[in-house]
Amino acid sequence: MMFVATLALARRALRGLLRRPQFVAPLVLFPTVFLAVNVGGLSRTTDLPGFPHVNGFLDFQLSAGITQSLLLGGVSAGIAVALEIEMGFFDRLAAAPIPRVSMIMGRIAAAAVIAIFQALYFIVLGLVFGAQIEGGVLGLLIVLLIASLAGTGFAAMGVMLALLAKNASTVQGIFPLVFVILFVSSAFFPRALLEEPARTIARFNPLSYISDGMRDPIISSVSWGPVLEGIAAALGLVIVFVGLSVVALRGRLRDA
Amino acid sequence: MAAIAARALERRYKSGLQAVAGIDLTVEPGEVYGFLGPNGAGKTTTVRMLVTLLRPTGGEATVAGYDVATQPGEVRKRIGVALQEAALDPLMTGVELMELQATLHGIPKGDVVARSSDLIERVGLVEARDRRVGTYSGGMKRRLDLAMALIHRPEVLFLDEPTTGLDPVSRLTLWEEVRRLRDEGTTVFLTTQYLEEADVLADRVGIISGGRIVVEGTPAALKAQVGRPHLDITLTPDADVDRARSVVSPHGELQPPTEDVHLRLTVDHGSASIAPVVRALDEAGLTVAGMQLVEPTLDDVFVQQTGSHLEGAGAPAA
Amino acid sequence: MRDSWLTIRALTARAMNEVLRVPGGAIPGILAPTIFMLGLSSVFGEAARLPGFTAEDFRTYIVPVGLLQGAAFAGAATGVNMARDIERGWFDRLLLAPQPRGVVLAGLVSSAAFRSLLPGTFLVIVALILGVHLPSLLGILLTIVLIMGLAAVMACWGSVVALRFRTQQAAPLIQILGFVAVLFTTAYAPFALLTPWLRAIAHVNPVTYVLEGIRQGFVGDVTWADTWPALLAVAGLLVLLGAWAVRSMRRFGT
Repeated sequence: MMFVATLALARRALRGLLRRPQFVAPLVLFPTVFLAVNVGGLSRTTDLPGFPHVNGFLDFQLSAGITQSLLLGGVSAGIAVALEIEMGFFDRLAAAPIPRVSMIMGRIAAAAVIAIFQALYFIVLGLVFGAQIEGGVLGLLIVLLIASLAGTGFAAMGVMLALLAKNASTVQGIFPLVFVILFVSSAFFPRALLEEPARTIARFNPLSYISDGMRDPIISSVSWGPVLEGIAAALGLVIVFVGLSVVALRGRLRDA
Repeated sequence: MAAIAARALERRYKSGLQAVAGIDLTVEPGEVYGFLGPNGAGKTTTVRMLVTLLRPTGGEATVAGYDVATQPGEVRKRIGVALQEAALDPLMTGVELMELQATLHGIPKGDVVARSSDLIERVGLVEARDRRVGTYSGGMKRRLDLAMALIHRPEVLFLDEPTTGLDPVSRLTLWEEVRRLRDEGTTVFLTTQYLEEADVLADRVGIISGGRIVVEGTPAALKAQVGRPHLDITLTPDADVDRARSVVSPHGELQPPTEDVHLRLTVDHGSASIAPVVRALDEAGLTVAGMQLVEPTLDDVFVQQTGSHLEGAGAPAA
Repeated sequence: MRDSWLTIRALTARAMNEVLRVPGGAIPGILAPTIFMLGLSSVFGEAARLPGFTAEDFRTYIVPVGLLQGAAFAGAATGVNMARDIERGWFDRLLLAPQPRGVVLAGLVSSAAFRSLLPGTFLVIVALILGVHLPSLLGILLTIVLIMGLAAVMACWGSVVALRFRTQQAAPLIQILGFVAVLFTTAYAPFALLTPWLRAIAHVNPVTYVLEGIRQGFVGDVTWADTWPALLAVAGLLVLLGAWAVRSMRRFGT
């Protein structure tokens, strides 16, 4: 029963996204613009001593674009759930004979699928503009795996925020925060070359490991160190945030 | 010179939808004109064209003597508009909104404060004037909207569904205000879906359906076209109905009885006919169990013209 | 004429309500450029060590970008608010005023110019604390003019979009243009260090010259050579987008 309900709600979430392209655009467009500007403006930084060997700055930046896009996807999932709560659709789900958890699992599961497409978009974009995936097909699969896990974790985080915040504007206010957290990671630039205090914070920031885990198969052949760290970080986020969102859901249903 | 004159006024949207399909109407200065019709009939579209918010795709209209399409600026100087959604800014206070409206309408700076205060007093919002409009009730918002529409002393006032959603007391207050405006010489173009409102307030009524005016005239004249009022009389179960029939027949025209009532009598004098009929029955020893005077309504007029009911026909009587 | 001036003033005052009367509502907009600047400099700070970089440190180099972002955001917010007012029916009230449409537009756009000073001031204060070199008085005055000008330009763009689509859902369309306009310039690096495609875009993007007009005071002296292109760019954009916005206002409801 849980599977059926979750699948139905997941399909609903996906359909909702496809029918409203104006919500897709910011998810992907904005990180693309950022990617373009970073590459266009700062390509020469690959010459700096300490920069890892890459085919091009674009190859380095791709995983940052993916991570950013996934984070925005998480915020977007949160806003969608917050709107559902505001509109009362959520109450309707609560009154239906479905397992409680399916109320949010649908959207979180949908995120796993959407994440793959987000990652593919950037990979294709990169290939078109001259990047190469050094890790080959295996590398690509690893990128998609980490992206899917990370996307799921971020969506769960967004859902948790929505359940706690109760209105969409608060969740929307989180948007700038997304940037802050991503900036203090090694997503956009090698950790060794970051200034303090960003460098120290990046060491403890899971986004560093997720980005590095996706970056490694692109800029070199697969090295299991960074890749496993990336998978672990992403999986950790999934477990933590799915757990927290279930707790938040129970709390909300109890108080409602 | 008519206050409002429209000829073959038309609005066809780019999608092909013909919202207004040729409206002819004339409103004389100082008149209250009731524009009545169900939702979706084209009332709001017509009003928006008359107040220069929407350009007609066919026909022409003049308001206060100026053409709405070629001289919109002159029209706007002479009209006051209170639209369906009392379009107010929730962050501003009542008096701030009044003063903004005054400024927008070119009221000289020295007069702005005085006039705003006067109008706020007139619509009974003195106590709430410094509170943010977001805290106002629906009735209060409508009143403020009306006051704002009057700030520049317009010749013609457009009220689009002014009492929709209001409680009975607020509705009565607004009706009072409309009557007062008419007495002061303002022309009022009133759109409504409530036939009682049109019946009570309007000097003349135009009924719109499907983008066209289907009938126009004074409420009394329109209703007379449909028929005269009748008395529905129910007697006690054991009464002598035939005797009753002969007793009441001098007072009106007997109609075929229906299932619910024993006697149906069309009368000429409305409620003044009730007393004689009751007395006649009483003298004949017949007891009346129930009596109701049923008058034709504008809804009957509408049904006769279009075959369907006005949606607002069920509006509660004030 | 007096009427017009009073109208513009009244509409500007109303727009400031949103900043002053909604607690915390304006805060994300005020903080965002500063956050962006801090984040960007802590990530890419080392880029300033590249040969050919024209500033001593990356932070000083990108503070002007933050100022322009604040301006762009203020302008975009004005457009989004207009879309909301159209949706809500408030805009009808403005259209029913017997004022020329250009005057109403000026009232709406000028508020953006004033709003843009809020994030800018915050950014400059933070930059000052972090040791960034500030321009002379002349440079600051020039900066203020350019920021307000760009905010007005963006507000005109926002108005065009709002009048066309009449819904707040068009907000991303307004915002993304501002973002692109400010970043596809010499935002992160001087011309010489940009990749050829970005260099080409930056050359034709008028906002590049506005950016350099602001930046000159931060990295060195204010010279006429760097000032006149900035002023020309802002004036030109204002004329073009202003005309487009007025046209959109006039055609609204036809």
